Amino acid sequence: MRIESIRLKNFRTFQDVTMRDIPRLCILIGANGTGKSTLFSVFGFLRDAMTTNVTAALGRLGGSRGFQEVRSRGCTGPIEIELKIRADLGRKGANLITYGLSIDEQNGRPVVAREILKYRRGSKGQPWHFLNFSYGSGEAVTNELESVKDENDLVREAQTLKNPDILAIKGLAQFERFPAVMALGDLIENWHLSDFHISRARPEQEAGYAEHLSREGENLSLVIEYLFKQHRPVFDTIVEKLKDRVPGITSVEAKPTEEGRVLLKFQDGAFEDPILARFVSDGTIKMLAYLTLLYDPKPHPLLCVEEPENQLYPTLLWDLAEEFRTYAMRGEQVFVSTHSPDFLNAANLDEVFWLAKEQGFTKIIRAKDDKQVAAYMAEGDKMGYLWKEGLFRGVNLR
Amino acid sequence: MTTLVFLLEEPSAKDALEGVLPKIIPRDVRVEYLLFEGKQDLEKRMARKIRGWLDKHSLFVVLRDQDNGDCQVIKQRLMERCGEGGRPETLVRIACRELESWFVGDWQAVGEAFNLPNLHKQSAKAIYRNPDKLGSSVTELRKFIPTYQKRDGARRIGHHLDVERNRSRSFQVFVQGLNRLLAEQGAA
Repeated sequence: MRIESIRLKNFRTFQDVTMRDIPRLCILIGANGTGKSTLFSVFGFLRDAMTTNVTAALGRLGGSRGFQEVRSRGCTGPIEIELKIRADLGRKGANLITYGLSIDEQNGRPVVAREILKYRRGSKGQPWHFLNFSYGSGEAVTNELESVKDENDLVREAQTLKNPDILAIKGLAQFERFPAVMALGDLIENWHLSDFHISRARPEQEAGYAEHLSREGENLSLVIEYLFKQHRPVFDTIVEKLKDRVPGITSVEAKPTEEGRVLLKFQDGAFEDPILARFVSDGTIKMLAYLTLLYDPKPHPLLCVEEPENQLYPTLLWDLAEEFRTYAMRGEQVFVSTHSPDFLNAANLDEVFWLAKEQGFTKIIRAKDDKQVAAYMAEGDKMGYLWKEGLFRGVNLR
Repeated sequence: MTTLVFLLEEPSAKDALEGVLPKIIPRDVRVEYLLFEGKQDLEKRMARKIRGWLDKHSLFVVLRDQDNGDCQVIKQRLMERCGEGGRPETLVRIACRELESWFVGDWQAVGEAFNLPNLHKQSAKAIYRNPDKLGSSVTELRKFIPTYQKRDGARRIGHHLDVERNRSRSFQVFVQGLNRLLAEQGAA
């Protein structure tokens, strides 16, 4: 599954922005305040809207004046989000699913002004509309099945949602059987944001259980323990990689204590006694956290990572970029925001997008579309180097 | 004691050399690496780096990928930079078309590095007989190792490379040049 394009209108700093041809590894750069985190917040918003409703999701993003705060300043239209997702639905070729959401305000309350889901079966022809709702009512297909060969055979039923701020993909039970909705739901529900904070990951957790590294990394020791017990080969790979990256480290051990806490111990080849996790360097913990995230036996369909370069030695960043790419190539997708030229030096031309502000709103530029940058890359330059030379026009402007 | 100083366009070249150099040069030759950020950066700064290098017992080697450029033109330009740096005898070598051709030139090494024992059979294929002619050797590697990455790959494969059996002409020329450079200095 892969997000192929994102179109945003009136969503905070993105007054009208389209990202096309998004690669499996997508690297975002841009000055502070240009909207890198805001882009990630779109996925968070969709998840909140799906698990609760649009009103609550807007509230979480923008406080009590949710809609007004989230809508771009000085704009009047609805907030619009459109995702195009390439997903393998078990048929020949990957299908392109389009999900569009338009949120407006009615009598001071947020409502879903329009929600559509359409996709093409096969590579040709017009997309089939599976869902078309506005203001709480609309039409939805009830028999999307393998046996349906022609769009005319689809049975559409008029339906009404309990509330106009509920998403139809959530509110209508029949969708659970439809592969396209399942794919979309999986993406929205299981995307993951990693915003690792060293101070959170350092203290050992109370005994517990965790399979995935959390957003800020505070359950690191639990995940290590889980991998140690349940996925030994993965654990061994992580330790091997860590040994390569951090001079001196020869092994890592996750040990439950008598009080039921989990201690991480690092063995330095030069010394007999292992070092407790709380005494090893920030960089070591951070590298361990990323390896734990990237070698997850059950990877996230979409992984968003905020500034992975913090605390890491610059020469490690190329490897980290390669590892994000490998994760993405295994079938998932990774978005990374970064301020590091060293990280960017490992990037391919088509992997980089830069965000720049123009008259208060953000535009997103694909590096590939800049002829000058593309020409220099063809001559063997590196992305980070070109960025430092000031060739990403507009990126340094506020 | 002789020191070899490698001027390289990116870190994966260093990863590969760290693995293979012990098979080419005597143990008492010290090795240093100067890493640049791409080709323009290399060309722009190399003369100053060579000129300012303090250890006078050093020999310099410039290694870069050919990519889409003309091999002779590139080499000529780099030689001029070496001249500007005061060391016209510097060895300039171009990997054709990219460093990874040196890996495709030795499928057995790639197989050993990635634990794919059948990979050595690829060397019988006609298209791999002259890997320097391949458009993109990384693409060829990805046919068998879909998630192949440059640094990770170079680090794994480098020390498995065999000097004799490698079919990449640019690799052989690199090895010969290195031996000659050291012999001329009486180090080998």
